[in-house]
Amino acid sequence: MKRIAILPVLALAAILPAQPPTTSWPTYHGDNTGRRFSPLTQINDKTVGALAPAWNFRTGVPGGLKSTPLMIDGTLYFTAPDHVWAVDARTGKQIWHKAFETKGGWHIGNRGTAISGNWMFFLTPDCQIISLNIKDGSERWHKQNCDLDQFYYGSMAPMIVKNKVIAGVSGDDLDRPGYLTAYDPETGDQKWRWSVVPLKKGDPGSETWPNEEAMRHGGGMTWQMPTYDPDLNLIYITTGNPQPVIAHANRKGDNLFTGCVVALNADTGKMVWYFQASPHDTHDWDSTQVPVLIDGEIDGHPRKLLALAARNGYYFLLDRTNGKNIVTAPYAKPNWAKSIRPNGTPEPDPAKMPQVDGALVTPNQGGATNWPPPTFSLQTGLFYVGTARAFSVYYIFDPDLANPQGWGGTDRGGATLSTSVEAIDYKTGKIRWSHKWETSGGRSGLMSTAGNLVFTGDNGSNLVALNATTGDPLWHSKLTAPVSNGPISYELDGQQYVVVGAGDTLWSFAMKK
Amino acid sequence: MRIFWVCLAVAAIASAQEPASVFQNVCGKCHPPEAVVTPRSRAQWQETIAKMVDLGAKVSPEERTILLDYLAATYPPGARAGRGARGGGGGPTLNGAPLDRHVVDPEAANRGRTVWVAECIECHGTSARGSDKGKNLIQSEMVLHDRYGSTLAPFLAKGHPMQSGRKSSTLSQTEVAELSHFIHERVYDTLRGSPIFQPQQIVTGNAKAGEAWFNGAGKCSTCHSATGDLKGIGGRYDPPTLQGRFLFPRGGGRRGAGARQLTLTITPPNGPAVTGVPVAFDDFDVSVRDANGELHAFTRSPQLKVVRNDPFAMHDQLLDVYTDKNMHDMLAYLVTLK
Repeated sequence: MKRIAILPVLALAAILPAQPPTTSWPTYHGDNTGRRFSPLTQINDKTVGALAPAWNFRTGVPGGLKSTPLMIDGTLYFTAPDHVWAVDARTGKQIWHKAFETKGGWHIGNRGTAISGNWMFFLTPDCQIISLNIKDGSERWHKQNCDLDQFYYGSMAPMIVKNKVIAGVSGDDLDRPGYLTAYDPETGDQKWRWSVVPLKKGDPGSETWPNEEAMRHGGGMTWQMPTYDPDLNLIYITTGNPQPVIAHANRKGDNLFTGCVVALNADTGKMVWYFQASPHDTHDWDSTQVPVLIDGEIDGHPRKLLALAARNGYYFLLDRTNGKNIVTAPYAKPNWAKSIRPNGTPEPDPAKMPQVDGALVTPNQGGATNWPPPTFSLQTGLFYVGTARAFSVYYIFDPDLANPQGWGGTDRGGATLSTSVEAIDYKTGKIRWSHKWETSGGRSGLMSTAGNLVFTGDNGSNLVALNATTGDPLWHSKLTAPVSNGPISYELDGQQYVVVGAGDTLWSFAMKK
Repeated sequence: MRIFWVCLAVAAIASAQEPASVFQNVCGKCHPPEAVVTPRSRAQWQETIAKMVDLGAKVSPEERTILLDYLAATYPPGARAGRGARGGGGGPTLNGAPLDRHVVDPEAANRGRTVWVAECIECHGTSARGSDKGKNLIQSEMVLHDRYGSTLAPFLAKGHPMQSGRKSSTLSQTEVAELSHFIHERVYDTLRGSPIFQPQQIVTGNAKAGEAWFNGAGKCSTCHSATGDLKGIGGRYDPPTLQGRFLFPRGGGRRGAGARQLTLTITPPNGPAVTGVPVAFDDFDVSVRDANGELHAFTRSPQLKVVRNDPFAMHDQLLDVYTDKNMHDMLAYLVTLK
């Protein structure tokens, strides 16, 4: 097993890109690749037994901490809906806390902030994008990122790309269009806005909608944090489900560019290519999982790749220069597609679309995976993803069968047969190892390190370190709630820390001295 | 004081079969009944009651029927949570809504329906979703920005064709506000949790084919019998609940004494095997409570043997086997077991 894993390491070493930083965690994913790989090795498969809690910080705000903290110059910055904290990364002591009065919007979670220089940017549930001074949390500007009356809200962490702040939009209760916006960090002025769905006949993708009314209300929210390739100057954004969500009679066609990975020119916001993971999605799966950038090798040639483990149960490997599909492989035994199209997109089986009398489908609505981030290890060449195998029955509820609105149905009941971490060979999509948890329930993000470790949470509220090569569980620490974000790691004063959110508490771990 | 309590007890017995009392007596044993009431459809109430029975709620078949009728009537979708009052925009899921949203007054909405039928329905449709002749108002930004007629009134004052020929500018402030209530109610009808957000007729299968599957390929008759444990099951659950129960019987959470549940048999390297319900079960620790209530806790190691005894394993395996036709046929068969 170990010998097999060494091969991709050597292959990757030859074309290794700039490593992510070790003394900071400056963006949601640690860098702009979405890999969540830390090159730190102090905590490794031999030493991890001595890892112990260093401090914890309780926010007192109910709901799981879904934010990935940023760590810059010894300070951690993280969020909950309407709240931002700055906390000393060495001690866990609060430096400042800012709470905002809300006008509404869904307070389901907030993924975090983006920081550029002295300035922080984050989204509120009531549709604001706000810029704060990182020294004291004082506000510089705020702008309207969406219209609360249309049931939009803010939950994602913005991203800095060159001289722009990139912000997405959330909300799929009413049938509204999704978009991604670039703002000027200094003023908050809008630089560009890309509409996920075509807004009029003749626009690219409009041929995949029956009419303008359907496309203009066709959904495609931008819930997930994008990734970015500076050499290609492309932003990679994954897009949400079409609307109406479940009942779908009035949106016949593939419903572009929902359920896609899309590459946008960072300067103009114009689409360069797209790949659709879930055409005509009818299961609320969207495709808003992390588009992970891998500089790898296919058939002996170095390639710029993009890997996506989608909520619909398929793993995709694309050429990120042009969106061409290299691999489509199921990783959680989905039963909804009847074939794979020549371009790598699964072909939905109409029988497994929601029915008035029900259709038994896997994955369930929660998906084979969901928003919590996967990780790609530069050391093992494996793509690790938290996975659930679950069934449920999808029903159409809306009595207006021809012109449903909103959701128009949902899934009911359900059984989760297993939850696991799947380690996928990025080149082939084949599962190298699978570590099943003993019980099911939670969903946690992942981080891999050059210490041959993968950190994530199990369903029993443990933070767990797995051997990255074999999947063997090596270490755990019992927390007060299941891990609710993706773990991060950084080095301060020669000490490597692992920091993770669980429930309303941020936990920090370091080696016992 | 004692006399007073006796009187109360007698009163309680006398009114024991009053639906509200059944609700208080049965549900109130474990939790304050009103505090946790969330509006649900009849099917969902049936599921909830079944779950509570699994959790140990003591309820006779007669009380069960009374309870279901009472809860379905008092807390239907659209009811205000925990109060039993219908409307007020409290039913549908309004998670994404602004705090200053339009709160629907159901009675005003009903009066608004009269104006709607007289002046709007021909173009904008029964549910305000539009037609060839008029716009979909559910999706109208003007409607979504409206509060009690705030944007609707100026629009109608400017003049908009109405089906009776009456001038829209002659609509009174009250009529516009009532129309606004009616249209917002239709918007909220499209949200999850609304009164129309529930299964339709789902019994479409062939009962004979379902019976054949039950006794044949499905191997259901290995453990179950139409005249034994499943006798009368078609009368105990409505079809959506019944479908959920035969597909996914594991249900959720803790289950009452005597109920079928997962147990573990743990065999230490040098000690007797113990079997019990898992209390903690992960890669590092395992503990079970045995039939006597005694806790047995172990640190996991390769030498410690842990075997799952899962009474629902067959049901899980079937999920990869069922065709949708099998599923529909099974439901059609089970509903006949009255």
